[in-house]
Amino acid sequence: MPVSQVVFLAVGALALGAAVRVVMSHRVFHAALWLIGSFFGVAALYMLLESPFMAGIQLFLYIGGVAVLTVIAIMVTKGGMRPDRRSTNDPWSSAVVAVALFAVMVWMIIQLPLPAEPASQVHGESLHLLGAALVDPEGYLLPFEVVSVMLLIVLIGSLYLGRER
Amino acid sequence: MAITGIPLSWYLIAGAALFCVGVYGVLANRNLIMIIMSIEIMLNAVVLNLVAFARYMEPARVTGKAFAIIVYATAAAEAALGLALIISVWRTENTVAVEEIDLLQG
Repeated sequence: MPVSQVVFLAVGALALGAAVRVVMSHRVFHAALWLIGSFFGVAALYMLLESPFMAGIQLFLYIGGVAVLTVIAIMVTKGGMRPDRRSTNDPWSSAVVAVALFAVMVWMIIQLPLPAEPASQVHGESLHLLGAALVDPEGYLLPFEVVSVMLLIVLIGSLYLGRER
Repeated sequence: MAITGIPLSWYLIAGAALFCVGVYGVLANRNLIMIIMSIEIMLNAVVLNLVAFARYMEPARVTGKAFAIIVYATAAAEAALGLALIISVWRTENTVAVEEIDLLQG
């Protein structure tokens, strides 16, 4: 077994195991900490995919933004779940749905003619091409600008929803 | 140095597994914050698929990553708005349990 496959399996087990701990956890704060571990595992998978830029975004945006925001929300809504109420639905029916969905997806994936090796890279810096494509009117300029307007709207809307009243 | 020896299907199966963990979390939990975290896991799995496709299927490695960056921006907006809604609901209802929030129930 090549060393890259061993590294993939180890990193994938970290990401997946941490994600399982997130959804199984009974304490929300522990779940948030495991969520950070899962994000780290996915960032390591991006490094295996030779995308250090995406790994950096993953660390900045998800761990620096989403995970910290989640921890703050947990602290603000302290005691939001009454301890006498069950915090989960019936886990078995949910597990059946999730496992069935996973089985269908794996069945579809193994039927597809997918490449075993990466596509040979064209000449040129990958990040440079990505940045040029994002601001190219022939490329992804429109979704880029739409998403920036959406972020502004969401910023204002979140401030409005979360304000003290 | 190129990292070789890992088929694309491994990444897709890892992404599918992460997505299904997120689906389980959305279905099984009653805490709104846990549901938001499960949705974040699902979005992460989707972006993992996009980045894997960008590396394996296209020589320029641009399209999948451009999609991934836009999904990232959407995910950040979703997390911020969702958590703002949770804080707003907590201020009025003093709960984050989904079955106790019946403000819009007739």
